[in-house]
Amino acid sequence: MRHIEPLLPYTRTIRAGTETDVVDWVAGRSILAFGVRIGIRTNQPEILDRLSEYFPPLWKPTPVSHVERLFSLKIAGAGLAGNRLGFHELFEDLEPGTRSRSLNTVLEAFESRVKMYVAEMAPRRVFVHAGAVGWRGQAIIIPGRSMSGKTSLVTELVRAGATYYSDEYAVLDLRGRVHPYPQPLAIRDQFSFKQRKCRVEEIGGVTGRKPLPVGLVVVSKYKSGVRWSPRQLSGGRGVLELLANTVPARRNPDIVMTTLQEAVSEAKVVKGARGEAAETAAMILKQFGEREGQAKA
Amino acid sequence: MSVENVVQAREDSLLPDAKRENLVIRENPDELLVYDLSNHKAHCLNKSAALTWTHCDGKTTVGDLVAILGRELNVEVDEDVVWLALRQLDKARLLQGPVGRPEAIINRSRRDVVRKLGLGGALAVPAVMSIIAPKASAAVSANGTPCSTNTQCVSGCCDRQNAPIVCATDSGTGGSRRKTGVACSSNANCCSNVCVGAPTGTCA
Repeated sequence: MRHIEPLLPYTRTIRAGTETDVVDWVAGRSILAFGVRIGIRTNQPEILDRLSEYFPPLWKPTPVSHVERLFSLKIAGAGLAGNRLGFHELFEDLEPGTRSRSLNTVLEAFESRVKMYVAEMAPRRVFVHAGAVGWRGQAIIIPGRSMSGKTSLVTELVRAGATYYSDEYAVLDLRGRVHPYPQPLAIRDQFSFKQRKCRVEEIGGVTGRKPLPVGLVVVSKYKSGVRWSPRQLSGGRGVLELLANTVPARRNPDIVMTTLQEAVSEAKVVKGARGEAAETAAMILKQFGEREGQAKA
Repeated sequence: MSVENVVQAREDSLLPDAKRENLVIRENPDELLVYDLSNHKAHCLNKSAALTWTHCDGKTTVGDLVAILGRELNVEVDEDVVWLALRQLDKARLLQGPVGRPEAIINRSRRDVVRKLGLGGALAVPAVMSIIAPKASAAVSANGTPCSTNTQCVSGCCDRQNAPIVCATDSGTGGSRRKTGVACSSNANCCSNVCVGAPTGTCA
């Protein structure tokens, strides 16, 4: 049984810092993302439109007043910039979370928390930390944690003609097929590591729409000067590699194991360090083509 | 412990018994996947390890397991193979209790067994691969890894003041960088680079 939190009425007593504080929640909305109902309320109605930039992709508004997770965003001062007037604060259900004078910091925390919550709780979907692209009717997925180089490889695969599915999560249905999670690519600056959001169309790519069976799993990490020369893993090892990057692995291992097994059942799983993303992307697509040729033969 | 009990314990340790509770088990071609709910570890057993494990019922002796493996894998195996499998299964905590290995084989390595079996017997070499299933929040980065925002770090603290920009240690007031709400004496103490009320303030 899932926890259900009422979004309305907006005014509730919450703990803010060390003092109990009453905040007038004057505006709010509920959304549905991958089957998860999320509520957001705030003391500043103007912020609601801006918040939608931080929602998970493919979200839809929903009229429900009861949600599974309620985020409360307390904006300091009168204006959105109000940095001089106090702290902006994010609460998750009734628990205090991020607190900062920088609104961007709080919004980034909101984005991270709401996406993580959806990834963990989505019914009938298994979220794996992985880049995903479509190529000749099958999906190539690249599991890996944050900063493992997923986005750079996905970007180069898309530049080479693959269809964009995600640079953060491979969203699997219970048949192991990959669904799109079309958020903008989060491209990092090489030196400052700051992320810049980039729509896939800006690099000449298109976003996939249909679910695809997995054809290739590439387990890889960037290593300077290395030429990609992976070794093939068994299906079982492939499941472990994906499981190590699966968000609801602990929450629902039964369904997760079955789903991952389905996902790799017809896929080739390869592992090995890689060098530059563009060179590796070309090699991946070449290897995929060879595999397809072998399958046809 | 009486002599009889010691003898009984010794005999029991030579009759390995597989753990059966709190497991999610999935069969793959020539492999077995096992998820242990008690410690959130997942294991992939190759055919040889899987055969050994599935026949560990507390009644089957090591000698019986040798015969079973030889028959099922269609290669000649000896006790070393079974003991290697039991050692790996024990390490993965997939057996009920510790397995009392004979002194003579305690130090025998996987490499020794592979060498002994040769190329033809490679299939019979047991292998158990294990991972710890991640927590849902494991997407965030460990200390010392590059970051751009605090939320990417386990510590909740991305040190943007010093190059390279990496997740910093945060251990309350003793960490190199401090989270929001923690006491600070200067801006340089804080992840946010803002210490409100310095020199006796709190990190913004």
